Amino acid sequence: MAYSDKVLDHYNHPRNVGALDKKDPNVGTGMVGAPECGDVMKLQIKVNPDTGVIEDAKFKTFGCGSAIASSSLATEWLKGKSVDQALAIKNTDIVTELALPPVKIHCSVLAEDAIKAAIDDYKTKSSATAQVGASA
Amino acid sequence: MSDYYAALDLPSLQLHLDLANLEQRFHAASRRLHPDRFARASAAEQQAALDASSVLNDAYRTLRDPLRRAEYALKLAGFNVGEQGNLDVPASLLEEVFEFNLALEEADADEVAAARNRFVALRGEIDARMEELFAAYDAAPKRETLEELRGLLNRRRYVANLISTASGEGIRH
Repeated sequence: MAYSDKVLDHYNHPRNVGALDKKDPNVGTGMVGAPECGDVMKLQIKVNPDTGVIEDAKFKTFGCGSAIASSSLATEWLKGKSVDQALAIKNTDIVTELALPPVKIHCSVLAEDAIKAAIDDYKTKSSATAQVGASA
Repeated sequence: MSDYYAALDLPSLQLHLDLANLEQRFHAASRRLHPDRFARASAAEQQAALDASSVLNDAYRTLRDPLRRAEYALKLAGFNVGEQGNLDVPASLLEEVFEFNLALEEADADEVAAARNRFVALRGEIDARMEELFAAYDAAPKRETLEELRGLLNRRRYVANLISTASGEGIRH
Protein backbone atom coordinates (compact mmCIF):
# COMPACT_ATOMS: atom_id res chain seq x y z
CA MET A 1 0.00 0.00 0.00
CA ALA A 2 1.30 3.47 -0.83
CA TYR A 3 1.59 5.87 2.07
CA SER A 4 1.14 9.59 1.60
CA ASP A 5 4.22 11.82 1.95
CA LYS A 6 2.90 13.17 5.24
CA VAL A 7 2.47 9.67 6.69
CA LEU A 8 5.99 8.74 5.59
CA ASP A 9 7.37 11.94 7.10
CA HIS A 10 5.77 11.21 10.48
CA TYR A 11 6.76 7.55 10.25
CA ASN A 12 10.40 8.30 9.47
CA HIS A 13 10.63 11.31 11.78
CA PRO A 14 8.04 10.75 14.51
CA ARG A 15 7.48 13.78 16.74
CA ASN A 16 7.32 13.57 20.51
CA VAL A 17 8.12 9.90 20.97
CA GLY A 18 8.62 9.03 24.60
CA ALA A 19 6.96 8.88 27.96
CA LEU A 20 5.91 11.28 30.69
CA ASP A 21 5.79 10.42 34.39
CA LYS A 22 2.56 8.50 34.80
CA LYS A 23 2.44 9.34 38.52
CA ASP A 24 2.60 13.11 37.96
CA PRO A 25 -0.89 14.45 38.86
CA ASN A 26 -0.73 16.80 35.87
CA VAL A 27 -0.06 13.98 33.41
CA GLY A 28 -2.90 12.12 31.72
CA THR A 29 -2.24 8.76 30.08
CA GLY A 30 -4.33 7.11 27.38
CA MET A 31 -3.67 3.54 26.30
CA VAL A 32 -5.79 2.20 23.45
CA GLY A 33 -5.62 -0.66 20.99
CA ALA A 34 -7.16 -1.94 17.80
CA PRO A 35 -7.54 -5.70 17.90
CA GLU A 36 -8.23 -6.00 14.17
CA CYS A 37 -4.64 -5.08 13.41
CA GLY A 38 -3.02 -5.69 16.79
CA ASP A 39 -1.93 -2.09 17.28
CA VAL A 40 -1.32 -0.54 20.66
CA MET A 41 -0.98 3.19 21.23
CA LYS A 42 -0.01 5.12 24.35
CA LEU A 43 -0.50 8.88 24.38
CA GLN A 44 0.26 11.19 27.30
CA ILE A 45 -0.38 14.85 27.98
CA LYS A 46 1.03 17.17 30.64
CA VAL A 47 -1.34 19.96 31.58
CA ASN A 48 -0.43 23.21 33.29
CA PRO A 49 -2.84 23.17 36.27
CA ASP A 50 -3.05 26.98 36.43
CA THR A 51 -3.79 27.69 32.77
CA GLY A 52 -5.36 24.37 31.68
CA VAL A 53 -3.06 24.38 28.66
CA ILE A 54 -1.38 21.21 27.42
CA GLU A 55 2.33 21.94 27.77
CA ASP A 56 3.72 18.66 26.58
CA ALA A 57 2.53 15.54 24.78
CA LYS A 58 4.30 12.25 24.15
CA PHE A 59 3.36 9.03 22.44
CA LYS A 60 4.61 5.55 21.78
CA THR A 61 2.80 3.40 19.24
CA PHE A 62 3.45 -0.15 18.16
CA GLY A 63 1.63 -0.60 14.90
CA CYS A 64 1.51 0.28 11.25
CA GLY A 65 2.82 3.48 9.66
CA SER A 66 -0.60 5.12 9.69
CA ALA A 67 -1.10 4.46 13.39
CA ILE A 68 2.32 5.90 14.18
CA ALA A 69 1.72 8.94 11.95
CA SER A 70 -1.76 9.54 13.44
CA SER A 71 -0.46 9.58 17.00
CA SER A 72 2.64 11.61 16.06
CA LEU A 73 0.41 14.23 14.44
CA ALA A 74 -1.96 14.18 17.42
CA THR A 75 0.85 15.06 19.85
CA GLU A 76 1.93 17.95 17.57
CA TRP A 77 -1.60 19.30 17.57
CA LEU A 78 -2.11 18.84 21.31
CA LYS A 79 0.75 21.05 22.45
CA GLY A 80 -0.43 24.56 23.28
CA LYS A 81 -4.12 23.66 23.18
CA SER A 82 -6.46 23.88 26.14
CA VAL A 83 -8.03 20.62 27.28
CA ASP A 84 -11.36 21.66 25.75
CA GLN A 85 -9.74 22.53 22.42
CA ALA A 86 -7.99 19.15 22.50
CA LEU A 87 -11.33 17.39 22.95
CA ALA A 88 -12.51 19.04 19.75
CA ILE A 89 -9.86 17.23 17.65
CA LYS A 90 -11.69 14.76 15.44
CA ASN A 91 -10.35 11.68 13.71
CA THR A 92 -11.57 13.15 10.40
CA ASP A 93 -9.11 16.06 10.89
CA ILE A 94 -6.30 13.52 11.08
CA VAL A 95 -7.62 11.62 8.03
CA THR A 96 -7.64 14.84 6.01
CA GLU A 97 -4.22 16.03 7.16
CA LEU A 98 -2.52 12.68 6.50
CA ALA A 99 -4.59 11.74 3.44
CA LEU A 100 -5.34 8.35 5.00
CA PRO A 101 -7.06 5.80 2.74
CA PRO A 102 -10.40 4.27 3.90
CA VAL A 103 -8.74 1.07 5.19
CA LYS A 104 -6.62 3.17 7.56
CA ILE A 105 -9.36 5.34 9.01
CA HIS A 106 -9.39 3.19 12.15
CA CYS A 107 -5.83 4.39 12.87
CA SER A 108 -7.12 7.96 13.15
CA VAL A 109 -10.01 6.74 15.32
CA LEU A 110 -7.45 5.12 17.57
CA ALA A 111 -5.56 8.43 17.88
CA GLU A 112 -8.76 10.33 18.72
CA ASP A 113 -9.63 7.69 21.33
CA ALA A 114 -6.11 7.97 22.77
CA ILE A 115 -6.51 11.76 23.14
CA LYS A 116 -9.86 11.33 24.88
CA ALA A 117 -8.51 8.58 27.14
CA ALA A 118 -5.53 10.75 28.13
CA ILE A 119 -7.81 13.72 28.92
CA ASP A 120 -10.19 11.49 30.90
CA ASP A 121 -7.27 10.19 32.91
CA TYR A 122 -5.99 13.71 33.57
CA LYS A 123 -9.44 14.92 34.65
CA THR A 124 -9.95 11.93 36.95
CA LYS A 125 -6.56 12.50 38.55
CA SER A 126 -6.91 16.27 38.90
CA SER A 127 -10.40 16.06 40.46
CA ALA A 128 -9.07 13.47 42.94
CA THR A 129 -6.20 15.82 43.79
CA ALA A 130 -8.63 18.74 44.18
CA GLN A 131 -10.76 16.74 46.63
CA VAL A 132 -7.73 15.80 48.67
CA GLY A 133 -6.76 19.49 48.68
CA ALA A 134 -10.25 20.61 49.74
CA SER A 135 -10.50 18.18 52.62
CA ALA A 136 -7.02 19.00 53.94
CA MET B 1 -24.06 -11.83 4.38
CA SER B 2 -24.32 -15.17 2.59
CA ASP B 3 -24.72 -18.16 4.88
CA TYR B 4 -21.56 -20.21 4.47
CA TYR B 5 -22.85 -22.97 6.70
CA ALA B 6 -25.94 -23.43 4.55
CA ALA B 7 -23.78 -23.44 1.39
CA LEU B 8 -21.98 -26.50 2.72
CA ASP B 9 -25.10 -28.03 4.26
CA LEU B 10 -23.76 -27.75 7.81
CA PRO B 11 -25.57 -26.83 11.01
CA SER B 12 -25.33 -23.09 11.54
CA LEU B 13 -22.52 -21.91 13.85
CA GLN B 14 -20.94 -25.34 14.25
CA LEU B 15 -17.45 -24.41 15.41
CA HIS B 16 -15.54 -27.66 15.28
CA LEU B 17 -15.40 -29.06 11.75
CA ASP B 18 -13.71 -32.18 10.45
CA LEU B 19 -11.58 -30.87 7.57
CA ALA B 20 -11.73 -34.08 5.47
CA ASN B 21 -15.51 -34.10 5.75
CA LEU B 22 -15.62 -30.40 4.90
CA GLU B 23 -13.58 -31.01 1.75
CA GLN B 24 -15.92 -33.82 0.67
CA ARG B 25 -18.91 -31.55 1.14
CA PHE B 26 -17.20 -28.83 -0.86
CA HIS B 27 -16.43 -31.16 -3.78
CA ALA B 28 -19.96 -32.63 -3.79
CA ALA B 29 -21.55 -29.18 -3.78
CA SER B 30 -19.12 -27.96 -6.48
CA ARG B 31 -20.16 -30.86 -8.72
CA ARG B 32 -23.83 -30.04 -8.23
CA LEU B 33 -23.17 -26.45 -9.32
CA HIS B 34 -20.77 -27.24 -12.18
CA PRO B 35 -21.54 -25.15 -15.31
CA ASP B 36 -21.69 -28.33 -17.49
CA ARG B 37 -24.82 -29.34 -15.63
CA PHE B 38 -26.48 -26.07 -16.57
CA ALA B 39 -25.48 -26.04 -20.26
CA ARG B 40 -29.10 -26.24 -21.38
CA ALA B 41 -30.60 -24.28 -18.48
CA SER B 42 -31.97 -20.75 -18.81
CA ALA B 43 -29.66 -17.77 -18.53
CA ALA B 44 -31.15 -16.98 -15.12
CA GLU B 45 -30.51 -20.51 -13.86
CA GLN B 46 -26.94 -20.44 -15.18
CA GLN B 47 -26.33 -17.16 -13.38
CA ALA B 48 -27.84 -18.49 -10.16
CA ALA B 49 -25.54 -21.54 -10.30
CA LEU B 50 -22.56 -19.28 -10.91
CA ASP B 51 -23.48 -17.06 -7.96
CA ALA B 52 -24.02 -20.06 -5.69
CA SER B 53 -20.68 -21.46 -6.81
CA SER B 54 -18.92 -18.23 -5.87
CA VAL B 55 -20.55 -18.26 -2.41
CA LEU B 56 -19.51 -21.92 -2.07
CA ASN B 57 -15.87 -21.08 -2.77
CA ASP B 58 -15.90 -18.28 -0.20
CA ALA B 59 -17.63 -20.60 2.26
CA TYR B 60 -14.99 -23.30 1.91
CA ARG B 61 -12.09 -20.85 2.17
CA THR B 62 -13.60 -19.31 5.30
CA LEU B 63 -14.72 -22.44 7.12
CA ARG B 64 -11.63 -24.56 6.54
CA ASP B 65 -9.49 -22.06 8.46
CA PRO B 66 -10.31 -22.26 12.20
CA LEU B 67 -9.54 -18.58 12.80
CA ARG B 68 -11.60 -17.29 9.90
CA ARG B 69 -14.34 -19.76 10.82
CA ALA B 70 -14.42 -18.48 14.40
CA GLU B 71 -14.56 -14.86 13.22
CA TYR B 72 -17.31 -15.69 10.78
CA ALA B 73 -19.36 -17.54 13.39
CA LEU B 74 -18.98 -14.61 15.80
CA LYS B 75 -20.22 -12.24 13.10
CA LEU B 76 -23.21 -14.51 12.43
CA ALA B 77 -23.93 -14.43 16.16
CA GLY B 78 -23.99 -10.63 16.02
CA PHE B 79 -20.54 -9.79 17.37
CA ASN B 80 -18.56 -6.91 15.91
CA VAL B 81 -15.33 -8.69 14.90
CA GLY B 82 -12.41 -7.77 12.72
CA GLU B 83 -14.03 -4.52 11.75
CA GLN B 84 -12.77 -0.99 11.98
CA GLY B 85 -13.75 0.69 15.19
CA ASN B 86 -13.82 -2.46 17.28
CA LEU B 87 -11.92 -1.12 20.26
CA ASP B 88 -13.22 -3.45 22.89
CA VAL B 89 -9.96 -4.68 24.40
CA PRO B 90 -9.25 -5.08 28.12
CA ALA B 91 -6.77 -2.50 29.45
CA SER B 92 -4.67 -5.22 31.06
CA LEU B 93 -4.03 -6.86 27.66
CA LEU B 94 -2.99 -3.52 26.15
CA GLU B 95 -0.57 -2.85 29.02
CA GLU B 96 0.89 -6.32 28.65
CA VAL B 97 1.33 -6.01 24.87
CA PHE B 98 2.81 -2.54 25.24
CA GLU B 99 5.37 -3.71 27.80
CA PHE B 100 6.30 -6.72 25.64
CA ASN B 101 6.85 -4.50 22.62
CA LEU B 102 8.92 -2.08 24.66
CA ALA B 103 11.05 -4.92 26.03
CA LEU B 104 11.58 -6.30 22.51
CA GLU B 105 12.92 -2.95 21.35
CA GLU B 106 15.68 -3.04 23.94
CA ALA B 107 16.36 -6.78 23.96
CA ASP B 108 19.47 -8.36 22.43
CA ALA B 109 19.22 -11.10 19.78
CA ASP B 110 19.15 -13.97 22.32
CA GLU B 111 16.45 -12.34 24.40
CA VAL B 112 14.38 -11.66 21.31
CA ALA B 113 14.73 -15.29 20.21
CA ALA B 114 13.69 -16.46 23.69
CA ALA B 115 10.72 -14.09 23.67
CA ARG B 116 9.71 -15.32 20.23
CA ASN B 117 9.67 -18.91 21.52
CA ARG B 118 7.50 -17.87 24.44
CA PHE B 119 5.04 -16.10 22.14
CA VAL B 120 4.89 -19.12 19.83
CA ALA B 121 4.16 -21.33 22.84
CA LEU B 122 1.51 -18.85 23.97
CA ARG B 123 -0.08 -18.94 20.51
CA GLY B 124 -0.17 -22.75 20.81
CA GLU B 125 -1.95 -22.45 24.16
CA ILE B 126 -4.45 -20.01 22.67
CA ASP B 127 -5.14 -22.35 19.75
CA ALA B 128 -5.65 -25.27 22.12
CA ARG B 129 -8.06 -23.21 24.22
CA MET B 130 -9.87 -22.20 21.04
CA GLU B 131 -10.48 -25.87 20.19
CA GLU B 132 -11.83 -26.41 23.71
CA LEU B 133 -14.22 -23.51 23.27
CA PHE B 134 -15.30 -24.85 19.87
CA ALA B 135 -16.18 -28.21 21.45
CA ALA B 136 -17.91 -26.56 24.43
CA TYR B 137 -20.03 -24.35 22.20
CA ASP B 138 -21.02 -27.19 19.86
CA ALA B 139 -22.06 -29.29 22.84
CA ALA B 140 -24.03 -26.47 24.52
CA PRO B 141 -24.30 -23.15 22.64
CA LYS B 142 -23.85 -20.37 25.19
CA ARG B 143 -23.24 -16.72 24.52
CA GLU B 144 -20.55 -16.53 27.22
CA THR B 145 -18.52 -19.14 25.31
CA LEU B 146 -18.61 -16.90 22.22
CA GLU B 147 -17.62 -13.92 24.36
CA GLU B 148 -14.59 -15.79 25.65
CA LEU B 149 -13.81 -16.83 22.07
CA ARG B 150 -13.87 -13.26 20.90
CA GLY B 151 -11.51 -12.17 23.68
CA LEU B 152 -9.23 -15.07 22.75
CA LEU B 153 -9.16 -14.04 19.08
CA ASN B 154 -8.19 -10.47 20.03
CA ARG B 155 -5.44 -11.82 22.23
CA ARG B 156 -4.23 -14.13 19.46
CA ARG B 157 -3.94 -11.23 17.02
CA TYR B 158 -1.71 -9.35 19.44
CA VAL B 159 0.42 -12.42 20.09
CA ALA B 160 0.75 -13.03 16.32
CA ASN B 161 1.97 -9.45 15.91
CA LEU B 162 4.48 -9.89 18.72
CA ILE B 163 5.79 -12.99 16.92
CA SER B 164 6.20 -10.95 13.71
CA THR B 165 8.01 -8.23 15.64
CA ALA B 166 10.27 -10.76 17.37
CA SER B 167 10.95 -12.39 13.99
CA GLY B 168 12.40 -9.10 12.82
CA GLU B 169 9.69 -8.27 10.33
CA GLY B 170 9.67 -4.60 9.52
CA ILE B 171 6.89 -2.09 8.97
CA ARG B 172 3.42 -3.60 9.08
CA HIS B 173 0.76 -2.38 6.70
